[in-house]
Amino acid sequence: MKTFEEAWTAWLDDQLTGRELSEFEASLPDKTAAEAEKTEAKRLGELLKRELSAHPLTNEEFFSHQLREKIMQEGRESARAGARQTATSKWWTIPRLLWAGAASLAVFLIFTVAVMHEKNPAEESQYLTQILNARVDPVVSPNATVSIFEVKQDRVTVLWTEGLQTLPADYAAK
Amino acid sequence: MQTEATLAQSDVSELDLVKRSQAGDTEAFDGLVTRYRTRVFGMIYNMVHSEQDAWDLAQDSFLKAWKSIGRFRGQSSFYTWIYRIVMNVTIDWLRKKQIKGGGAEFDDAIQLTEVDPASRTVPKKEALPHEAMERDEIRGRIEKAIAQLSPEHRAVILMKEVDDMQYHEIAEALGCSIGTVMSRLFYARKKLQTLLRDVYENV
Repeated sequence: MKTFEEAWTAWLDDQLTGRELSEFEASLPDKTAAEAEKTEAKRLGELLKRELSAHPLTNEEFFSHQLREKIMQEGRESARAGARQTATSKWWTIPRLLWAGAASLAVFLIFTVAVMHEKNPAEESQYLTQILNARVDPVVSPNATVSIFEVKQDRVTVLWTEGLQTLPADYAAK
Repeated sequence: MQTEATLAQSDVSELDLVKRSQAGDTEAFDGLVTRYRTRVFGMIYNMVHSEQDAWDLAQDSFLKAWKSIGRFRGQSSFYTWIYRIVMNVTIDWLRKKQIKGGGAEFDDAIQLTEVDPASRTVPKKEALPHEAMERDEIRGRIEKAIAQLSPEHRAVILMKEVDDMQYHEIAEALGCSIGTVMSRLFYARKKLQTLLRDVYENV
């Protein structure tokens, strides 16, 4: 379905035929005015064609010559760019490849060490070290036993004491 | 070895020139340029109204055509294909100029002094001085009126009225639908009829 503008344009350019033409002409409120406008449009077209069509290109040969020069220059630049590209590609294959490999390996190692270090359980706490070193004084508590359950991975330590009569005064202070 | 003149002759098929150009034959491309340079230049000139700019834009268009001729698949005529490049280059240029000029370009900023009088239509016979003046004046009025159209409307009306192109060819060249072409033609004609009524009624 054509819009009014499309149908009008087609009608002006004599592109409507058959049923489409009769339907469009029947839809025109004032066919005489429309015909007058069609004539005007045709006169406008003739004017444009007459005045604008014969614009000469002066120096035609120079135009082509200049274009040939530009095309040749373009070709030379493309060739140079291609050569640069090839050189770059060759350089990639030998030293840059080695350097890239070494650098990647170094980065990988650093990363791995850092991650492993982070995953290590924390060092034993100073408090636990004191207990383990001192144990229980055999003079004060001769029957005392100390059991330690430790899961370093989860950072959990359970200290289980039995038969303990007293704790050294400075036991926890340190 | 074929010369440029030979290549430009119509007995060498356009398709052959295109195929050879696609294979990198600059002489064959030269043949295509020779065939279409005047039409291309004329169309661009009517769009931009400046000899120098039309020359540069025509050069740019052909250079782009050379660079992308490998992508031409022959689904349309070479002329329609190159027109698409020409229109892209010219409309882009007009848009940039409009932006730089603060939008005045499509009104009445184009001065007739930009047009080289010697470059205007050459009459078949020597015109009398008053006839030449009258013709220059008419031409100036037309150019001024066209300058008031948007680049797309200019392109459509010039391709239809001056180059006798079909709707579908214009649509291909501008990358739009046939309906859009017809709609643009409608508005471009209306505007030019308003601006040039006294010209075509008195000629």
